[in-house]
Amino acid sequence: MSDEFEPVLLRRMGRPNSEQLETYLADGGGQALRKAFLMRPEELVSMIRESGLRGRGGAGFPCGLKWSFLPQARTGPTYLCINGDESEPGTFNNRILIECDPHQVLEGIIIACYATGAERAYFYLRYEYGLCYRILEQAIAELYSAKLLGKNILGSGFNLDIFVHRGAGAYICGEETGLIESLEGKRAWPRIKPPFPAVEGAFGKPTVVNNVETLACVVHIVDRGVEWFRSMGIPKDPDNPRDAGSYGPKLYTVCGHVNRPGIVELPMGITARELIDNHAGGVWKNRTAKAIVPGGISMGFLSANELDTPLDFAGPIRAGCLGLGTAAVIVIDDQTSMVDVLYNSCRFFSHESCGQCTPCREGTAWSTNILARIRAGKGQLRDLDLLLEIAHSMGTIPGTTICGLADGAAWPVRNCMAKFRDEFEAWIAGGHCVQASDLVSSH
Amino acid sequence: MSELSQEIRDEITGLMDRYPSRQAVTLPALHLIQQSARCVSSKAVVELAEMLELSPAQVHDTLSFYGFFRDETRPLGHKRVWFCRSLPCMLRGGEELLAEACRRFQVRPGETTSDGELTIESAECLGGCDGAPCLLVDDMLVLNAAETTLATLSEGSK
Amino acid sequence: MATLEVNGKTVDAMPGDNLIQAARRAGVEIPFYCWHPDLTVVASCRMCLVEVGQRQDDGTVNFDQRLQPACQLPAKPGIIVRTDSEIVRKTQAMTLEQLLLNHPLDCSICDQAGECYLQDYSHKFGNEKSRLQEPKIQRKDKYHIGQQIALFTDRCVMCTRCVRFTREVSGGAELQIIQRGSTEEIDVFPGHGCNDKLAGNVVDLCPVGALCSKDFLYSKRVWWLKSQNSVCPGCSTGCSISIDQNEQQIYRLRPRENPLAQGHFMCDDGRFGFKYIHDERRLTQPLLRGIASEIIPRDVVCSRADDLSFDDKWPHTMDTLRRLLRERIGKTPERSIALFSPFMTVEEAFLLATFLRKISPRSNLAMGPIPVVGENDYYPKFPNGSSAPADKARFTIRSEKCPNRAGVAWVIDHFQRPGLGLDEVIVRAKRNEWDTAIMTGGYPETWVTADFNSAFQSVTLLVVQDIFPSLLSERAQIVIPGGSFAERNGSFVNHSGLVQAIRPAIRSPGQARPDGRIFWELAEREGLFDPVSVRREMAATIKAFARFANETLEPNGISLTDSVRLSETKAAVANGSSGSTGAGS
Repeated sequence: MSDEFEPVLLRRMGRPNSEQLETYLADGGGQALRKAFLMRPEELVSMIRESGLRGRGGAGFPCGLKWSFLPQARTGPTYLCINGDESEPGTFNNRILIECDPHQVLEGIIIACYATGAERAYFYLRYEYGLCYRILEQAIAELYSAKLLGKNILGSGFNLDIFVHRGAGAYICGEETGLIESLEGKRAWPRIKPPFPAVEGAFGKPTVVNNVETLACVVHIVDRGVEWFRSMGIPKDPDNPRDAGSYGPKLYTVCGHVNRPGIVELPMGITARELIDNHAGGVWKNRTAKAIVPGGISMGFLSANELDTPLDFAGPIRAGCLGLGTAAVIVIDDQTSMVDVLYNSCRFFSHESCGQCTPCREGTAWSTNILARIRAGKGQLRDLDLLLEIAHSMGTIPGTTICGLADGAAWPVRNCMAKFRDEFEAWIAGGHCVQASDLVSSH
Repeated sequence: MSELSQEIRDEITGLMDRYPSRQAVTLPALHLIQQSARCVSSKAVVELAEMLELSPAQVHDTLSFYGFFRDETRPLGHKRVWFCRSLPCMLRGGEELLAEACRRFQVRPGETTSDGELTIESAECLGGCDGAPCLLVDDMLVLNAAETTLATLSEGSK
Repeated sequence: MATLEVNGKTVDAMPGDNLIQAARRAGVEIPFYCWHPDLTVVASCRMCLVEVGQRQDDGTVNFDQRLQPACQLPAKPGIIVRTDSEIVRKTQAMTLEQLLLNHPLDCSICDQAGECYLQDYSHKFGNEKSRLQEPKIQRKDKYHIGQQIALFTDRCVMCTRCVRFTREVSGGAELQIIQRGSTEEIDVFPGHGCNDKLAGNVVDLCPVGALCSKDFLYSKRVWWLKSQNSVCPGCSTGCSISIDQNEQQIYRLRPRENPLAQGHFMCDDGRFGFKYIHDERRLTQPLLRGIASEIIPRDVVCSRADDLSFDDKWPHTMDTLRRLLRERIGKTPERSIALFSPFMTVEEAFLLATFLRKISPRSNLAMGPIPVVGENDYYPKFPNGSSAPADKARFTIRSEKCPNRAGVAWVIDHFQRPGLGLDEVIVRAKRNEWDTAIMTGGYPETWVTADFNSAFQSVTLLVVQDIFPSLLSERAQIVIPGGSFAERNGSFVNHSGLVQAIRPAIRSPGQARPDGRIFWELAEREGLFDPVSVRREMAATIKAFARFANETLEPNGISLTDSVRLSETKAAVANGSSGSTGAGS
């Protein structure tokens, strides 16, 4: 099925000058915006709700529902924040979307702003994406020149300004309220909820935060209709009232130990195995996969015998992972030690913990130190239970922290202990230790 | 004497219209300051705080949260190179590449070469996982970096 | 009112309660660090996580899988809270273990030991031992946080109460968090210390031994301190305080929460302003000068506070004083003047006024000097120079630097109509219209100027009751050593008409005596000085004090302003902004 799939979000990838407004319009871009302006904002909100579009940033929250949380009777400004802080290890689909087709994303932004009544949008872009920044600034300037931004866009009476706001190297800014705090010029400490951003977000005003890929999807739902979007993916599980289904196309990225790391657009629900074998050239060096990360490191690990797990919103959860996350697949070959992998994961979360909640601030650092000790050959078997307990206290028990970062820190530990504990025990029992040279850069 | 030039002050003031609060200008202003001075000095923090009607502690609180800004005791070199060592890059030699860079340029992560040309940093995921291991040179990604890439870094900085 | 259930106990919550407060009403302690009722809720320490559920139709309770921070959840009707389940206990223990990971466990030299929430919660909720095997992170102590504040960095639990206080209440935002994650610390920006007048509160707010007061540092283990409830005399805000003393030595003042007075905090002027109490220049012996051939040498009058080698001069002094006042005022009452200090309690003012008026209703009573410095000082004060308007202020330091102008004024107003202003008293003094003058002091610093002193040059019987020597006491015929606020029993009326009790925390130095006792004995009342009976008497005779009759002053005092409005007094009801130098004028 995936072989015949014709990409939508990536359809313009690789075309010459694809980042320019001229080529975007020539390729049929802008149709959705014209259609949107013929609709009432609330019709657009309903449309996105009916489409079943779920946020592509990691949490998978239904997009239309999020928009509908904005208070009905509101005065004063509403803001749209575009989450382009893409920092989840293995994830780069936003970068590709912006680099190759910024106008597709910007069209989605204009439609989303019209639907939500936001007359100002802040595009929060991680600093590391310098090329994206320049491309976006250029594209926004083109839109102003073409009067597709500013006052009275296309005679609709709708006004919109978009500003790009660059981050400064902090993973937590991808959490929507961390992003808002960062936008406001503060340390990016996620907020407690309620109030939710839809009621009291950026600068205390109603705010919607949407991921870049989510907004790109909006364009095509408006252009091609709800039915088109719902024709793809995995329908909702009738036996699971909490499942909202996994509809539409999805950008999957594959990296790590594969022959052809890259990005591919497919209907929701492809299996990890298909992705690796059919779209990434298979595992490198004729090896096999020992484990894969299904959707960014915070989702945990699928083991070699779980590779047929469909990568929709529900699939990885059934396999004991945290979720689909960003659908960023990282392949780990059979020659790699999971001890090294887990150490790397824990170090990442320790580095990125914002430091607000005790269990995450202390737990991520403690786990990293324990794993460093294990790697240095000084581990004890009881360390594994302690690691699991720390993970439990910061992420597995729901509600122990304000945001989901600690869940993401906990899940790799939990999955490793459930699926690869033998390897850790063997490492400890065998007195393995990494070479000194490998430790040079670990500080 | 003022630490912030009139030019930078004008740029910062120009950003104020973009946001409903002055504090929101903190990050963009810090970027402007570090870009021109290769660090954000204490004096610059005090002057920026005054422009934004904040206490110096509020500006510094934000500044220090992001691992990105340097004070005057550790200014950046002419070029700043981040070596990614998160899982996708680690799996494809990112750690080794960073270690090699440290040997080659005789610095530890976070330090600047003695000629002040190159600052080497370790990074968590830079978002260039399709080209792991990757580097970030100032704000531009370099994908599929290898030892040969290191040579170009020093060439470019001479 | 919301009725909810905590660990099986039904409890009625008050409006505005969160689950911590509601549980407290049920006698259940939910531990917390970051929450403080006067600061924004951040729910970040995660110490107060509880299980929350709802009762189903079939009577069973359905608990949320998600643990909830009790500080963040309003106490809504029907909520069922569980704090004693295994999951909650385990989570509390783990959070404590994590907070202590890098803590130096240096309780033996920590000022906070004995009133530390790490100690208390470890005892009640903690694990027996730490499973940490790695070396602890050691962080540098920071003595630069403020002139009065030191930070023992590695004891900090990052609750951020202190940071929020400087941003929300004092406003200067001097404190910050630096770095992020496990490397973060509290700090100030170099050269911009936490030194405003509310700075000392961050020490009280710190639930552990991280922020310490340099003034108190290593001076006393807290378990030796005894606390007495009192009121700060520094300004007419009248902050409720605790006086912490050991063996007659005051070590610190702390604010005592009082929603009717100042809230939770106090200013540093008040906090550190008690040192004068132990000043060695205090008057410690009564003195009769040039009367009945008894002259007491100066060096005895000014003997050190700890000089216990005295013979009791009081009986003779009091007899002489009583006799002379009766003679003089009885003969020419209109040529007598008594100046009442705004540092007197209402009871003292009433006793003295009653005594004098009993001798003659034509004797004159007037308010002494009211110290006023600058304008009222409203907080928060933000870095951009703006400060809260009076009605939005989170804290106000008042320009009137005395505790009881209003109360004393009401007493005088009751006895002396029309009122006699201080300016007029001085003018008449210069015209030699006074023969007898009684001056009460009790000011923490010199209040007698050379001009003031010389105005009363012609007075032939000068009685000075004070705590420090002054130009007046140097030449007075009778000098009565009184007590500081920490030594007296009575009540003060603050700017808003709130009357609060002060209680003796220590004894007066040497032979000095609390003023209430002096006036009680002067009036030859029976038994020991009893402020409660004085208040009852006042309630019966003075409308402004009608509520004294049936209301206790514990613990937060009572508002007298309504009853004042009912009375027809013309006394200036202190609103804190008055700069007047006399009452009844």
